[in-house]
Amino acid sequence: MNHAAYRTNSRKLLILALFVLLTAAAYLFAEAHWGNERLFRYAMRLRIPKLAAMLITAFAIGGASIVFQSIIQNTIVTPCLLGMNSLYMLIHTAVVFAVGSSSLFAVNANAAFAVDLILMGVTATVVYSYFFRKTRHNVLYVLLIGTVLSSLFSSIQTAMVRVMDPNEYDALLSALTASFSNINSEIMGLSVVVMAVVVLVLRRELKLLDVMTLGKNQAINLGVDYDRCIRRLLLGVTLFIAVATAMVGPISFLGLVIANLSRQLLKTFRHGQLIAGSVLFGMMILVGGQLLVERVYSYTVPVSVFIMVGGGIYFLYLLLSRKGA
Amino acid sequence: MKHKVKGGAVIKERKMTIVLAVCLVILSVLSLFVGVMDLTVKELVAGNMEQMEILLLSRLPRLLAVLCTGVGMSVAGLIMQQLCRNKFVSPTTGATISSAQLGILLALLFLPGSNLMGRAVFAFAAAILGTWLFVWFIQRIPFRDVVMVPLVGIMFSNVIGGVTSYLAYKYEMTQALSSWLAGHFSLILKGRYEMVYLVVPLVILAFLFANHFNIVGMGKDFSENLGISYSLVLFMGLTIAAMITASVVVVVGSVPYIGLIVPNVVAMFKGDRIRGTLADTALFGAVFVLSCDLLGRVVIAPYELPIDLVAGILGSVLFIGLLLYRLKHGERAICWKARIAGGKEEGVQ
Amino acid sequence: MLVRELTKKYDGKTVVDSVSFQIPKRSVISLIGPNGAGKSTVMGMISRLIARDSGLVAFEGSDIRKWKSRDLSKRLAILTQSNHTQVKLTVRELVAFGRFPYSGGRLTPEDEQMIDRAIAYMELEPFQDRFIDELSGGQRQRAYIAMVIAQDTEYVLLDEPTNNLDIYHSSNMMKIVRRLCDELGKTVILVLHEINYAAFYSDYICAFSEGRVAKFGTVKEVMTRETLSAIYGVDFEIMEISGKPLSIYY
Repeated sequence: MNHAAYRTNSRKLLILALFVLLTAAAYLFAEAHWGNERLFRYAMRLRIPKLAAMLITAFAIGGASIVFQSIIQNTIVTPCLLGMNSLYMLIHTAVVFAVGSSSLFAVNANAAFAVDLILMGVTATVVYSYFFRKTRHNVLYVLLIGTVLSSLFSSIQTAMVRVMDPNEYDALLSALTASFSNINSEIMGLSVVVMAVVVLVLRRELKLLDVMTLGKNQAINLGVDYDRCIRRLLLGVTLFIAVATAMVGPISFLGLVIANLSRQLLKTFRHGQLIAGSVLFGMMILVGGQLLVERVYSYTVPVSVFIMVGGGIYFLYLLLSRKGA
Repeated sequence: MKHKVKGGAVIKERKMTIVLAVCLVILSVLSLFVGVMDLTVKELVAGNMEQMEILLLSRLPRLLAVLCTGVGMSVAGLIMQQLCRNKFVSPTTGATISSAQLGILLALLFLPGSNLMGRAVFAFAAAILGTWLFVWFIQRIPFRDVVMVPLVGIMFSNVIGGVTSYLAYKYEMTQALSSWLAGHFSLILKGRYEMVYLVVPLVILAFLFANHFNIVGMGKDFSENLGISYSLVLFMGLTIAAMITASVVVVVGSVPYIGLIVPNVVAMFKGDRIRGTLADTALFGAVFVLSCDLLGRVVIAPYELPIDLVAGILGSVLFIGLLLYRLKHGERAICWKARIAGGKEEGVQ
Repeated sequence: MLVRELTKKYDGKTVVDSVSFQIPKRSVISLIGPNGAGKSTVMGMISRLIARDSGLVAFEGSDIRKWKSRDLSKRLAILTQSNHTQVKLTVRELVAFGRFPYSGGRLTPEDEQMIDRAIAYMELEPFQDRFIDELSGGQRQRAYIAMVIAQDTEYVLLDEPTNNLDIYHSSNMMKIVRRLCDELGKTVILVLHEINYAAFYSDYICAFSEGRVAKFGTVKEVMTRETLSAIYGVDFEIMEISGKPLSIYY
């Protein structure tokens, strides 16, 4: 069936992967002190973990975004609607607020990551499962409730920030801004493991994604247990986003850009290809963005700002160019 | 139909309005006497100057600001919902509040010496532009589901908020901005809040044009047929809503959910015509914000919780409750206009 | 298939009120009735798209709720009114989805054959690589029917298949329905607004009124002046053309 289109898309993905390789190489080897072996090693030691962190993040956000859009059946949403960003900010603010910026949580990255992941995972699972039942699997209502809760979290967070000591706040601010520095291999390893488990548990549902794009009625007609499938996939998406956020900070707006770029490039309903495209675009943008930040702007602007501004413009473009939502 | 209603029935029809008005008066008086310093009627009557000063310089301004906020935000929400034909649109879920915040930040950055007036001008301009832009977008796109509109609105606000936080980050104003933008009444003193009175003429304007908003809410063809310029009324209504919101944001900060919840709660009791519900919406908004304010002042006295937090907590709980209630007792109430306009996706008889 | 005392309420209002009937195999059964009579809701409940409040839908002797959704999708197919999808799908890809219950997405040569046959049956070969959203309403409807054929089920449920089609495409659609039953031996249940299509093309008619079954029987039994007038509240004349009762109303 339509093999030609499938093959064209595979070729496109291959080219995209090549670009990713090029960008990654540029990131690793640009101004890497080739002459001096010790400096070169030092640069590698800094850059390789960062690169790995970016690739993992791109994988988490790229995959989650495509799946999320397909569940909601709408391509102008991002999983940042799930409220993980504000939950993350609330957790960090609350900890600094309660025990100060010198506590174990604020200093030890591994502890912070574990706490983030567990809190976000548990909260999201409990809240979303509960509201799924309550709304009788009306996914849009669940989302709306999610956004209500996330604005509640920001209200609480702002209230804490207002009464916080400015020095403590400065320490907090660096945690609240997405960054790829200082992510150790244990955290990355754990992230990969968590994501692998999620994929393994959801392997059946992931295969159903193609059918689910036909809409609820058609999917049920073709034998999909729709409600259950949506619920499980949404929880998977939430966990993926939680992993990415806990690892690097609030960044999930990226998903809007890369998922849509992938859809525009590939114009297919096959989720295998769509996800691959989205992940590759994510890698390219993150690594390329970081390259810019480090080499051109010499670290004055965080990469998340690029994503926010670029993503914002792209979002407006999407709104303008679409016929329906 | 109204002229047929007899005297007793008028009172019955207005029962809710009367109850709300009485509540408001009681709460207002109560609010004047709650605070760190104890005020008593006896001392005031006796002419205790110190107590009089507190009353006039602090308590009364605060009460007036609270009332303006409640009335203003809920009326702004009602207008926006009516004009956009969507029960989920409001200054929070539209882009109005976030645009006004961006405006304030721009004023702080580019006119560092500016007074309240300067900030207000920036906030007005930004809020109006942001709201227009948002409504222009959502009118261009046929939405298949009503809930998509607020979701897009929230993403839209996220984008604007992103720009704001980038600028704040760059100029190291994040914390200052947080305290500027989160709503609180604790800094309301005579001489620093009068801007919020702008709400009063704007709300009166809204009352005068209530019927126009109603008609425009029925759709473009409907209003043109009745000889009302759709675009003109739409833009005017949005401008009024945006200006109300901006004047509240400048003085008080953002107070979430009022514009979203209050009109919805009133509509549950009274139906959806804007003319009949405007007064009740305004009164209920005032009662709601005043209750939140009182609660915030009492819970951890002598400190106080910011209104942003109290309204945020109460509002989200109420809103989720409202959502679930409507989901259970029929979506019709919430989707009424969208059904007429677009029809539901799955046409179940 | 057996339906017993099926009931559904929306907002406290009873939309379907203890509806019972039995569906004879290898025949075309039309559900008719005025707006809001509950026919689409009944259709939704017997196809598991809508959850019932009480009553029973038994399929092949056991409750439809006890069936595995995947197994049921090999025996029963439902096509609802509005079928729009945002994704870019070609006709062939859409029809291929009909094989999903069997292959789970990985098509075998047999599946490909079934798809070819379904496309040929609906005379869609010239369009098979066109995108769904580029087709006309009638062609798109045929593409969805082809998917249902590829699904190869014994029962086919169609919710207002002639909706939004002009006279030419509507009567073509009804001829297809007849062929599904006569040539492929399927049981077709459909919701129709146009009474005369129901009279001309079906074997049985189930007439609904205010959430209840007003009359279930063969076409001749249901198509009487008294029954139709009572259901629709309009005067009817019944005529006979080429051996089939046709109604006139104004």
